[in-house]
Amino acid sequence: MLLEASNIIKTFGGFRAVDGASLTVNEGEIIGLIGPNGAGKSTFFNCLAGDAQPTEGTIHFLGRDVTRTSPEMHARLGVARTFQMPVTFEDMTVADNVMVGAFLRHPGRTAARRAAEEVLDFTGLAPLGATPARSLGTPGRKRLEIARALATEPRLLLLDEALAGLTPAEVRLAIELVRRIKARGITLVIVEHIMEVILSLAERAVVFHQGKVIASGTPRAVVDDPAVVAAYLGHHMRRVRRD
Amino acid sequence: MRQWKLVLAGFVLIAAWPLLVHDVFYQRVGALVLLAAISASAWNLLGGYAGQVSVGHAVYFGTGAYAALVVYTEWGWPPIAGAPVGMLVSMAIGLVVGTPTFRLRGHYFSMATIAAAELARILASNWPLLGAAVGLMGPPRPRSLADLSFISPVPYHYLFLAVLTVLLALTAGMQRSRPGYYLAAIRGGDRAARSLGVPVLRYKLFALMLSAAFTALAGSLYAVMVGFIDPDSALGILISVKMLIVAALGGAGTLFGPLIGAIILVPLEETTNALFGGGGTGITFIIYGAIIVLVARFQPGGVAELWRSATARSPRRAA
Repeated sequence: MLLEASNIIKTFGGFRAVDGASLTVNEGEIIGLIGPNGAGKSTFFNCLAGDAQPTEGTIHFLGRDVTRTSPEMHARLGVARTFQMPVTFEDMTVADNVMVGAFLRHPGRTAARRAAEEVLDFTGLAPLGATPARSLGTPGRKRLEIARALATEPRLLLLDEALAGLTPAEVRLAIELVRRIKARGITLVIVEHIMEVILSLAERAVVFHQGKVIASGTPRAVVDDPAVVAAYLGHHMRRVRRD
Repeated sequence: MRQWKLVLAGFVLIAAWPLLVHDVFYQRVGALVLLAAISASAWNLLGGYAGQVSVGHAVYFGTGAYAALVVYTEWGWPPIAGAPVGMLVSMAIGLVVGTPTFRLRGHYFSMATIAAAELARILASNWPLLGAAVGLMGPPRPRSLADLSFISPVPYHYLFLAVLTVLLALTAGMQRSRPGYYLAAIRGGDRAARSLGVPVLRYKLFALMLSAAFTALAGSLYAVMVGFIDPDSALGILISVKMLIVAALGGAGTLFGPLIGAIILVPLEETTNALFGGGGTGITFIIYGAIIVLVARFQPGGVAELWRSATARSPRRAA
């Protein structure tokens, strides 16, 4: 077991954004976190990345308690993430953005440069290496965030809506990239709105509703779960099943 | 390659300046340009590269200036011997100021640095060891060469040039290695930097302490050259603001930006001072204010950015 989050509760004032959610992640799988806006999946996700600290509950990564560990320590231990709104380093070139990630495992400039170039090739960003990050569009930024995270050589990669806002063609490219990342032996947890993405990528889907996990299983089984359909995925699911 | 030649040409011109002009006024301006470039380059380590805008760097400048003259008034040492003392004390102050204030973001950090500097100025104004409101004097006449007391500005010009060269070489080396990338990442955003394993607080403190040490060195050099300091000339808010403006005007976060800013601003300031005399301080404030408005509104990247876009040959492709 790679990661285990048990009974996570996160409150903001009187509001319970996450209300007793649990999740186990096994090495090598792709897990999709789904649920409507405000279901608490992003907050839960931030707890996994060390960006937010749960009010209650524990998180273990590789058997180690990381519940109150800083985000930089998460990166060091092998948990990398992307952000819902990409936060690339605008003043730096694409290659230098990736260099920042590569420096985590390669303190020397030459070794970091080599590692960054490998990741740029892998993600198909190599031709844009010398471009300033600020001139990239949304798909480029999302891809750059993934590249930067990969450069930290993670065991677990957390993708927060990495495919939202992309055109269907771009989504296909991104899905292909996620598959290749998995083939590298990296475990993935993805938060996603697009059901097609979850159906074609995830081996297991976990459904959030009002801060709780209400269903978990194969994506097919989850979308057919009457509780899930009735509760809130409703018409969106019916559309998918018609396809 | 072309850029490298330009840097060499600039260096030769600056090195030859005191030999090219014979008027003491212009020689003095040359030395003051280099001194301003040292303190602005030191400020740039934190404010430019790491993006943590300090408006309280006078506290480090003043620490260096007072350290130089206190070792003379208390123990009779040559003032320059106070420079390492000032650098160490500044680093300690940086640690004390930085540890709580780096938890604050944006404007709050800048405001906290102003408060710390004003506190230091008020403290110095009331502390007899530091000469209180009257200030401190250096050796009235040089006892030996070690006092570095010269009538001509030329020896100072070369002393400052040497220090600036060391500082810029150090900065260039840092820029190309992990600390430089990490500081740039911090400037880009704390949250993203931390997600990539950058120990943000540790690197901010590193930048602050390095910046504080060199700012203190600039303060010591100032005290050595001028031979007299008081709370306003060593710890006044104008000193903090000037470092910021010189760096921002030339280009914050670039290697030569602070030097370019000093080359533009210092002669302007010295000329207005010469024209308007003691009443010039008000004019200086007006000029600083105007520069802040103009740089912020029209050219946030400073002159260095202007230069870069003017010399860029082909437009960059976007994805």
